[in-house]
Amino acid sequence: MLSISFKIVEPKRFDLYIEDIICGEDEAIVRIEHGAICKADLRYYLGARDERTLGFKYPMSLLHEAIGTIVLDKTNKFKVGDRVVLVPNIVPKNNNKCLNCVCNIPELGENYCPNAKFSSSNYNGFGREYVNYPVTNLIKIPDNVESKIAVFLELISVTIAAYRRVQLNGDETIAIWGDGILGYILCCVLKVIHKDGKIIAVGKHENKIKQFPADKYYLIGDDSINKENIDIAYECVGGNSSGNAINESIDIINVGGKIILTGVAEDYVGINTRKILEKGISLYGVTRSSVSDFQKAILLFERERFRDWISKLILDEIYINNIVDYYNVFEMELKNFKLGKYILKFNL
Amino acid sequence: MNIGIILAGGIGSRMGIVDKPKQFIDIYGKPIIVYTLEAFDNHPEIDYIGAVCLDEWMDDLKILLRKYEINKVKWLIKGGMSRQESVYNAIMAISKDVNDDDILVIHDSVRPLVSHKIISNNISSAKQFGATDTVIPSTDTIIKSLDGLQIHEVPNRSELYIGQTPQSFKFELIKRAHETAIESNKLNSTDDCQLVLDLGEKVKLVMGDKLNFKITSFDDLLLLKAIIKLGKTEMV
Repeated sequence: MLSISFKIVEPKRFDLYIEDIICGEDEAIVRIEHGAICKADLRYYLGARDERTLGFKYPMSLLHEAIGTIVLDKTNKFKVGDRVVLVPNIVPKNNNKCLNCVCNIPELGENYCPNAKFSSSNYNGFGREYVNYPVTNLIKIPDNVESKIAVFLELISVTIAAYRRVQLNGDETIAIWGDGILGYILCCVLKVIHKDGKIIAVGKHENKIKQFPADKYYLIGDDSINKENIDIAYECVGGNSSGNAINESIDIINVGGKIILTGVAEDYVGINTRKILEKGISLYGVTRSSVSDFQKAILLFERERFRDWISKLILDEIYINNIVDYYNVFEMELKNFKLGKYILKFNL
Repeated sequence: MNIGIILAGGIGSRMGIVDKPKQFIDIYGKPIIVYTLEAFDNHPEIDYIGAVCLDEWMDDLKILLRKYEINKVKWLIKGGMSRQESVYNAIMAISKDVNDDDILVIHDSVRPLVSHKIISNNISSAKQFGATDTVIPSTDTIIKSLDGLQIHEVPNRSELYIGQTPQSFKFELIKRAHETAIESNKLNSTDDCQLVLDLGEKVKLVMGDKLNFKITSFDDLLLLKAIIKLGKTEMV
């Protein structure tokens, strides 16, 4: 069937594409209903990558945080009208077995598969009317979860992937650096799944950080954080400022502590390797998530309190009736410095 | 119940192609009519489809329905000598199976770029108001000429719209409109909404889209081919 898509073709330039969507034998056709713009999408929108990289990416549909409804499923796994979340990380499988061994390592998994395709990164994303998608990468959304909130499942799944990146006992003191959406969601997730440990939030903006459901919060540079006994640190800052956050966490964390990096920085950042050596600190990288992380994320929505926390991130619902609306919402998100996102409601 | 009526009874005399009607012309491996049928077949609010087709092309249509797994077509209806007759044939063919309040979404098979939103808006508007026409504002100035040689009037553009399809109606209303037209010997109307207006009933407008254009000439065919970009190899 014919479908409209918006593809980024050069910085700040979307083109309208009409494409024939064909449903493969192991696929379903999904009508995209809601989506959200990620920082990575904004980098492609602005062209904030090196020219050569962009040359390999454009033209491409953006957005990897989206949900939709089933319009056709050749496998009969879903019913027409089922609401589903789309898992953007697609791993090539042969007879249901991954072709790369990392997929079976619990701490790593599908999101580190070198052959994986990721929507709106090295594959077309969900900024379009319909998508044909592998049913193995679709998960049904329970009826009691509003579509607007369900859009955050991708980010929630990323924080779950960050949590499983290191083995934890459940009673450690965890500090989160970063007062953005990812830090907030990680804080919400930890409050549910890391019940016996203390959760500390560290950020630059008090108006944001005090909204985190943390046990304690500190502003960056506040020396009183030194009295905390931090075992684990999550860096959720990203960009050039991530270096400062990483170094502060290196200074404060316990000997033998673990630091998990989640923020993306385009440039190299300088970190204090001497102190990493002195304190025997381990650094881990985490990004993206797998199908199982999405499944765990959906279970979190069974808790009303968790749904309430996530719903605070919805700044507004913006209807996308045409490509002009699509441009406008990207510009709105560029100027957005609040703790939250605009939710795109596709109406094409 | 919402029923899509796809009109594929035309022969496409303005196209120049003589071996097949325009709706069966292949665009990147798929006939135009299949794109149109898919839009209705995959629309969750459409329950069934009636396809009105030239009698001699009925088998070809059946083959296409099988090949492209179009599942909602319940009625295959023989086309008439005119558009009006084709629609009336459809009304008669489905009459035993439908209720007065059921919605008919009548659409040209050669408008393959009809969107989900246009179909949805047609259905909701027809349910509420009984009759609905899909239009777009006229961006060009329309000139009225009675003899084709000189201007007789330049109507106010802000009051002018270009009619598209779907046109959607409650079954009872469109049936009554057609029967009244036949009784009045009005047999060659090109617009179902006109027949409803003749009854003194109102017709509500819903916004269409420039992309929802009708393939009537070779230029339109060229435009459609240009619009449908081949992206299959890079698509998921």
